[in-house]
Amino acid sequence: MVEYQLLRAHSLEEVLEILTEKKKVQILAGGTDLMVDLHQQDPKFENIDYLLDITDVAELKGIKLGPEEGEIGALTTHAELLSSPEIKEKLPFIGAAASSIGSTQIRNRATIGGNLVNAAACADSFSPLIALGAELVLRNKGGARRVLLEDFVEWPNQTVLKDNEVLEKIVFKMPQGEYHSSYQKIGRRNAVSISRLSLTLLAEVENEAIKNIQVVSGAATPAPVPFREVNKYLTAKTFAEIDPAEAGEIAADEMVGITGERWSTPYKRPALSKLVERAVKDLLEEAGYNG
Amino acid sequence: MAKLDVEITVNGARHKLEVGSQERLLDTLREQLKMTGTKEGCSVGECGACTVIVDDQAVNSCLVLTAQVDGSEIITVEGLESKSGLHPLQKAFIEKQAIQCGFCTPGMLMSALALLNTNPTPTKEEIKTALEGNLCRCTGYQQIIDAVEMAAEEWGV
Ligand SMILES: Cc1cc2nc3c(=O)[nH]c(=O)nc-3n(C[C@H](O)[C@H](O)[C@H](O)COP(=O)(O)OP(=O)(O)OC[C@H]3O[C@@H](n4cnc5c(N)ncnc54)[C@H](O)[C@@H]3O)c2cc1C
Ligand code: FES
Ligand code: FES
Repeated sequence: MVEYQLLRAHSLEEVLEILTEKKKVQILAGGTDLMVDLHQQDPKFENIDYLLDITDVAELKGIKLGPEEGEIGALTTHAELLSSPEIKEKLPFIGAAASSIGSTQIRNRATIGGNLVNAAACADSFSPLIALGAELVLRNKGGARRVLLEDFVEWPNQTVLKDNEVLEKIVFKMPQGEYHSSYQKIGRRNAVSISRLSLTLLAEVENEAIKNIQVVSGAATPAPVPFREVNKYLTAKTFAEIDPAEAGEIAADEMVGITGERWSTPYKRPALSKLVERAVKDLLEEAGYNG
Repeated sequence: MAKLDVEITVNGARHKLEVGSQERLLDTLREQLKMTGTKEGCSVGECGACTVIVDDQAVNSCLVLTAQVDGSEIITVEGLESKSGLHPLQKAFIEKQAIQCGFCTPGMLMSALALLNTNPTPTKEEIKTALEGNLCRCTGYQQIIDAVEMAAEEWGV
């Protein structure tokens, strides 16, 4: 069994103090990843001396969506995200991703910050936040730095977060004007891994045309990335010019370009193509365009 | 290693306890408080047998350290029965034959109670969502869903 001393922080200042003074400290939030890893004696956590419970730190909680900018505290749970009327109204794809995670019991404890820092290849919070161009505020005793979420993960389960830093919040610009979104997911975390795929589509539209669009993969690629070719294909097109099936094909080609041909490709390629097609159709429908 | 002082309320009774750093809420309930109604199945958040209610929310007690819930109100399956008899949920589970081996039942009851406490008139979909983190190897779930629907009807009035 991994032996550790549990410490509880009650303010952000206390968190930063402890992270500066003590070595071999592992932050504990909802525990839905970490408690599992500790139980399974994951060698990654063999050497920790302290667990630092941050669940009582009020400064790390809450959702604030302004007209221009928004932020989500790292300790916000998936249950809070999916039941927030503000999220439902303004950023429904974030609520949809949150509601797809785990079970009621998991969502009640699991936090968005834990999901990002744990950085599993199939973690569901990445694609909606990357679509928003979100940045993470990483803080240590000396101050804070901002890292683009796309640049946060080095490889699965490894991020650029330093030992003395805590993820404080996620910040992003709010989409402007008329915008539509779609979150798509197939397969469950525990099902055979080839059946896991998810994606977010977020588009700003004007005069029946796409002004800006982000289509971001979830578990289709080793790290979640924007599908640049699909985004290029869709940007500045009028609704009439868009062929959803073609967008799907472009995305599927792009995925195979990133991952290479693998044993799972014959399944994933058509599945992703259909998901993108469906997301684009949803977008057109939501925008009130019926061909 | 230093013990931690915590105070928790379980089924209405206050307990001042000393807990170890590694002690999960599940361990405290079963080993310190001798409330063995809460079950340990998978120990990793998958099966829901360990579900209890912490401050009105269903949680997996195998994934929570007791010191993390210092000051909280906890409800376990032992909290259901009262002087006036079995809780409507318990009666409905019996009536609808929603129990076979019974290992999943305490967790199922807690997930159902957490749901009905916040949403006394759930739809079938809402019941399914509330129970999706509770596995049952015996019943096939339909009887359990029927029981929760029945309890909602009887209890709601
Ligand atoms: C049964 C089950 C089902 C699941 N289903 C899904 C699913 O469908 N989709 C999905 O994406 N995930 C799923 N998960 C994984 C998990 O629930 C999520 O990743 C969750 O969001 C993790 O958050 P947490 O608060 O529990 O993190 P913790 O376990 O507390 O922490 C995870 C990691 O992040 C670090 N950390 C946490 N918060 C901070 C912070 N603020 N600053 C710095 N470091 C921090 C911790 O040190 C640790 O390394 C599931 C887990 C289980 C057990
Ligand atoms: S024992 Fe806790 S979820 Fe299985
Ligand atoms: S009754 Fe046996 S597991 Fe549910």
